Amino acid sequence: MTSPRPLLVLCLGNEIVSDDRFGPEVARRLQDGTLLDLPADVVFAPVAGFHLLDLLTGRKRVLIVDTIRTGAAKPGTLHCFPAGALTPSHHLTTSHQVSLPTALELGKQLSLEMPDVVDVLAVEAQDLETLSEELTPAVYGALEQALDFVRNWIRQNSSEEPS
Amino acid sequence: MKSIVIDPITRLEGHGKIHLFVNDDGSLANCYFQVPELRGFEQFCVGRPVEELAQITPRICGVCPDAHHMASAKAIDAVFGATLPSAAFKLRNLVYNAFYAGDHTTHFYALGGPDFVCGPDAPPAERNILGVIAKVGIDAGKKVIAQRARGQRIIEIIGGKKVHPVTALPGGMSKRVSKEEQAELIKIGEEMVEFSKFTIQIVNDVVLANTAYVDLILSDTYAHKTYNMGLVDANNKVNFYDGKVRVVGPDGKEHCKYEPKNYLEYVAEHVEPYSYLKYPFLKKIGWKGFVDGVDSGVYKASPLSRLNASDGMVTPLAQAEYERFYETLTKDKSGKTPVNATLATHWARVVELVFACEATLALAKDDEITSDKIFSPPQGIVGEGVGIVEAPRGTLTHHYKTDKSGIVTEANLIVGTTNNNAPITMSIKRAAEGLVKKGTQITDGILNRIEMAFRAYDPCFGCATHTLPGEMPMELVIHDAESGEIVQTARRNC
Repeated sequence: MTSPRPLLVLCLGNEIVSDDRFGPEVARRLQDGTLLDLPADVVFAPVAGFHLLDLLTGRKRVLIVDTIRTGAAKPGTLHCFPAGALTPSHHLTTSHQVSLPTALELGKQLSLEMPDVVDVLAVEAQDLETLSEELTPAVYGALEQALDFVRNWIRQNSSEEPS
Repeated sequence: MKSIVIDPITRLEGHGKIHLFVNDDGSLANCYFQVPELRGFEQFCVGRPVEELAQITPRICGVCPDAHHMASAKAIDAVFGATLPSAAFKLRNLVYNAFYAGDHTTHFYALGGPDFVCGPDAPPAERNILGVIAKVGIDAGKKVIAQRARGQRIIEIIGGKKVHPVTALPGGMSKRVSKEEQAELIKIGEEMVEFSKFTIQIVNDVVLANTAYVDLILSDTYAHKTYNMGLVDANNKVNFYDGKVRVVGPDGKEHCKYEPKNYLEYVAEHVEPYSYLKYPFLKKIGWKGFVDGVDSGVYKASPLSRLNASDGMVTPLAQAEYERFYETLTKDKSGKTPVNATLATHWARVVELVFACEATLALAKDDEITSDKIFSPPQGIVGEGVGIVEAPRGTLTHHYKTDKSGIVTEANLIVGTTNNNAPITMSIKRAAEGLVKKGTQITDGILNRIEMAFRAYDPCFGCATHTLPGEMPMELVIHDAESGEIVQTARRNC
């Protein structure tokens, strides 16, 4: 087993649920070669729950790329915020409730090696209900901007975090 | 009449809801459990090469994609009339048991455990996995995380990817296991068995040592005498990956035992206009509504039902726990008398956890898993196949039909939670009947006691991947049915 690199771009989502494909699409384009010379792992994970804890352990700085629906912005709008702005779900009703902030808090409580920095880049979704392998036009239009953001995030964080 | 709505919201497909309709005298008139699902998923599969489904169907759920991968792989084997080499069968069985060990660990410690370790009436801020760790110690928490990592490592070795396996293909597996990897698998298996012993001790010390908890588990509020479904081997022992589906009645008598390909002869689906999710029932008994007993076709498919549907476990430590489970709850260690207490599902899950760990170790020690003969190329196409595995949340059925080129023409999936749709509804109703009375002030404790009724099943709301920001708010609203005005609202996480 090789040790994970300190920087991780973790793209979450589902390739077959319309705009939830945003994360995997960003990962695919990054893995196509544009980032091969940059010091970060790019991982697509169609998972939830405790799987997130497994993916975060051992990393120093993580950028989550995902889809979100706030209802307060136009579809395709990119939201950038620290994961600390999200509230953990303490009381769990099903396995599906172990969310990113819950996983982070749990990792800290267990003294696991959790990232010092977890940033989120989330696109405002238009459609998270339709089974489709296509993004809606508005969300598709945000891809290039998201890729630029990720590249800059890696450059900035790799200079602050020696690999 | 008043209407009470419990609204656990998920990201995908909106949300699931519980509706309680309360008469003016405070009595419960009815209960509806609405679960949204991926509408049209089966249609989404049509027109694709059937081999793709082993990679697509895991996208139904981000929590247990492994189960869909395996059920799909088995159905695809059947579509091609493929017979697996023995080594490939063992590798699939091994990775599947390792997945089970991780999944059951998560549920017991993060979901079921808090109700007992912290107590059902503890404040929500304490009644969670962090509360469990605070009670039993941080080392226990680290053991839980380590156990999950073990399962992930086995999935990575055999399944090709850490997150979920991708190596099952028609007629076998695509990745062999080296001798060095086998040695690592054995070491991990040994550690898993040790962890299962630790969990048994937790059950003993925290749950069984507290007579109030045992009384709660056995109380009528959480009991339902339904039929029990589970996959069994040739000796009627519990098997997660392969075998026949056996159904045992609430009286302990075998109702049927069938090959997966014949499932439509035994299971039918009832439809209610208020829910996307169907209500499977036993065809030869019929749908009699949301009632239990031997005359009702309602069945459950869960860790508890799997034990009830079996004659025991094939590994020694798990068999000992199986006997202790039945001796404690029915005074009959043979298991011939079913346990009908829904909350005993948590303990049943621990018995299965022990089995999964022992099975992982036993299969890891089998030298045949390092064989090169892990793939038997399909020679033709049958055009129809059914694959059934036991997902942690219940019997999982994948059924595909294809044309002569292997293009999917029809697909049907019955997932774990679907099996339990009727029992979950009944369990919630029973709990609510005992807890919601006229003039009742809905407290967080009452919310939790109602939640406990369905948390035991760990229902999957057809979610696809994950939730962000991850909240799953619970909102309970009591309406005056006549005026529509809100009488009271209780909220959590929203």
